[in-house]
Amino acid sequence: MSNKVAIIASNGGLFDAYKVFNIATAAAATEKEVAIFFTFEGLNLIHKQGMHHLAAPAGSEQVAAGFTNANVPSIPELVEMAQDLGVTFIACQMTMDVMNIQKEDLIDGIDVGGAVTFLEFAKDAAPSLSF
Amino acid sequence: MRTDHQLDVQGLACPMPIVKTKKTMNTMEVGETVEVIATDAGSKADLQAWAASTGHQYIGLVEEGSVLKHYLRKCNEAEEREKTFEQTVSLEEVQNISNDSIVLDVREEVEYAFGHIKGATSIPFGELFDNMEKLDKTKTYYVICRTGTRSDLACQQLAEHGFKHVYNVLPGMTAYTGELEKTI
Repeated sequence: MSNKVAIIASNGGLFDAYKVFNIATAAAATEKEVAIFFTFEGLNLIHKQGMHHLAAPAGSEQVAAGFTNANVPSIPELVEMAQDLGVTFIACQMTMDVMNIQKEDLIDGIDVGGAVTFLEFAKDAAPSLSF
Repeated sequence: MRTDHQLDVQGLACPMPIVKTKKTMNTMEVGETVEVIATDAGSKADLQAWAASTGHQYIGLVEEGSVLKHYLRKCNEAEEREKTFEQTVSLEEVQNISNDSIVLDVREEVEYAFGHIKGATSIPFGELFDNMEKLDKTKTYYVICRTGTRSDLACQQLAEHGFKHVYNVLPGMTAYTGELEKTI
């Protein structure tokens, strides 16, 4: 059985963030080795400022309020927890260049790499997930 | 019910019950038990799946309204040691023993509570030494635990203290299919 979970985060909304970080922290807490590859809008999820202001899809404000009511941790809290549990964050170099994002704009403790960096990790991961 | 550790995750949503349980397990010794008190309905399925995936023992669940009390025990299958006590009996034999002999269950109190052989006496392995004075050395003891490891050690300890008629029951409660008595 594979002990790795590989995740691609390529969308930058609030719901996308929850999908990514809930699965990642749950997997890490289950003693899996977890890596997340952040690309395109997904970089938003680990952007120092951006991660505090992730948008919920239009018309879903009620659902967004539900997160508070259900006592779901905030995204910055989940990010900290994921890093604490040893989840590896890889920011996509190519998209950073295209979108003019510097490594300093992103949270600390992450790696910057290309597609091959992620593929090398993901080659024997099960499951591999894309959000 | 008495456990070595307690964790209150009431009001917390997924994945927090799992994350917190994992962190508590990290601080525990192998063999210790924990009570996880949750209100997240998803924890019902999740904690069992988590235990199965990480190799820890999920002992059972008590539901009190919307409060879910999970009981787990830290395991390390890799450290499973060889059993050395020579006098052993099979589970089948234990089901037909005389009234005069005693089935001694050395698992933790919570494990015993969630299901044991009818009439078995409970003394957790860690408390055996302190309770030995209360046991009659002339009687026959069939010592059982979950997989035969703790009972192996218990048999050795009893034999060292002058108990002659001591048997380790193999393979243990994991293979027991007979009727279970519960105290919860």
